[in-house]
Amino acid sequence: MGIYAEPRFLPCGDLALSVEFADEISHEANARTLALEYLIQQKALSGVTETVPTFRSLLVYYDPLVVGWDDLVASLRALCRQARPDVLPPARTVELPCCYGGELGFDLEAVAKQVGLPPDDVARLHASADYYVYFVGFTPGLPYMTGMSERLNIPRLAQPRVKTPPGSVSIGGVQCCIYSVESPGGFWVLGRTPVRLYDPSSTDPILLRAGDHVRFRMIDRAEYDSIETAAAEGRYRPRIERP
Amino acid sequence: MPTLLVQDAGPQTTVQDLGRRGSLRVGIPPSGPVDREAFVLANRLVGNADDAAGLECTLMGPRLEFADERWVAVTGAVMAATLNGLAMPRWAAFEVEAGDVLRLGPAASGVRAYIAVSGGLDTPPALGSRATYLRGQMGGWRGRALRKGDELPLGPHSGGAPVEVRASLIPDYTREPMVRVVLGPQDDRFTKRGIAALFEAPYEMTPHSDRMGARLRGARIEHTRGHDIISDGVALGGIQVVGDGQPIVLLVDRQSTGGYTKIGTVCSFDIGRVGQVKPGQRLSFKRVTVGEAHELLRAYRRELDDAIAFPTG
Repeated sequence: MGIYAEPRFLPCGDLALSVEFADEISHEANARTLALEYLIQQKALSGVTETVPTFRSLLVYYDPLVVGWDDLVASLRALCRQARPDVLPPARTVELPCCYGGELGFDLEAVAKQVGLPPDDVARLHASADYYVYFVGFTPGLPYMTGMSERLNIPRLAQPRVKTPPGSVSIGGVQCCIYSVESPGGFWVLGRTPVRLYDPSSTDPILLRAGDHVRFRMIDRAEYDSIETAAAEGRYRPRIERP
Repeated sequence: MPTLLVQDAGPQTTVQDLGRRGSLRVGIPPSGPVDREAFVLANRLVGNADDAAGLECTLMGPRLEFADERWVAVTGAVMAATLNGLAMPRWAAFEVEAGDVLRLGPAASGVRAYIAVSGGLDTPPALGSRATYLRGQMGGWRGRALRKGDELPLGPHSGGAPVEVRASLIPDYTREPMVRVVLGPQDDRFTKRGIAALFEAPYEMTPHSDRMGARLRGARIEHTRGHDIISDGVALGGIQVVGDGQPIVLLVDRQSTGGYTKIGTVCSFDIGRVGQVKPGQRLSFKRVTVGEAHELLRAYRRELDDAIAFPTG
């Protein structure tokens, strides 16, 4: 496990390749991934059509009629050497209100039993952490985050549930995620945020970005309902701090 | 504004263009037609740009009423096309008039048929594309499949010509396709026997297949050490092999990332063939290198550029 001495360039068919930096989930591997993506954007690398950052690798789509494999790999190798995490755009911190427990956080009691803490303490512990967004994806706008207390580290559900409601704030292992659309999933649902992470009717439909920080603010059901109404009418904007 | 009235939608008819670019990084797939070749040729037949919006019809076609004169082309799966009850050619442009009703029947072979109308569908774009992303309720017509009574706006057009696709390029969907695969990105997570299995015998399409992925059934593909990886990006055509050793080919509405090993990737120019295989039908895989795939892609593009002709004889 660790960062490779040299990144690996893995073919993904005729139109894409994956630049892999490590076989671990770490801030360093992710920072290298995001830094490479940022440099590709800055330099408008010829033939590159689209990029997808993940924990430790960057998927690069290209047009082989514009740039061949050897030339593309050579350019990417050079950019990997230049890429520095400190050239990343400054991180934002997004505050998301979250209503823990009850029907919105239907797994809170079960998680509390497993980790041996009262449910309120689990919620407070979860809400007190600073979460880092490694990347956004799987479904539109779903953030893959870490940052919470080791005391909340429990294995994923043995049987994934078929439907998890959008907005569900969920944990599994060391990860925290928020479901963006109704989808199957194996994470434990601690609460729900009324903020929309994905709004298909908006011109800017995705709230969170790779490299963001997320903080949760505990709210009660009444506040959840009022924010949800406002969000549905497009009147609610979460607090976003830019450095 | 001239429109196209949906008298009957069929089980899943959606508005598609060549898809949205640049949003996979936030989890929004490109969408677009599963069989890009058939879609592009339909557009070229009616004098549209390749990326004009048209219709993708699944397993059975719609019934559409035109409000003005247009050129129309039907390509892809064999769904018998009739205009006011009269049989119309497929893979060829024909003219329609105000009040004409076009109907496509059930698919005799293939899965997805395409309908292009000169001027294209002028539905509101989302993130720069008119493609429908069903799961994310984005794009197309109100983010959903068409329903009876929908009236789709059409763009302005400038005539057409009675052209057709060269007969040698019209696919026969009753034949078992052979699709080309580049190994990777996780071929090192499979045994030699597992990799050989993928290329040895054909795989059967299952009914649990859609625009997101084609689930196949056949010889078990053996892993070396489990099927889980640290989630990474999933390219078009990526062949995920899950715990049961069965492959899933990921298509245009795929998830952007995933945590299952991918043994290989179906080449872009063969994805359309995968998308036309009916449940119960089979397809086989053939291994190529990246260099070979790029050569095949060039040949494929040249062939496509030369595909449309005036009828002979």
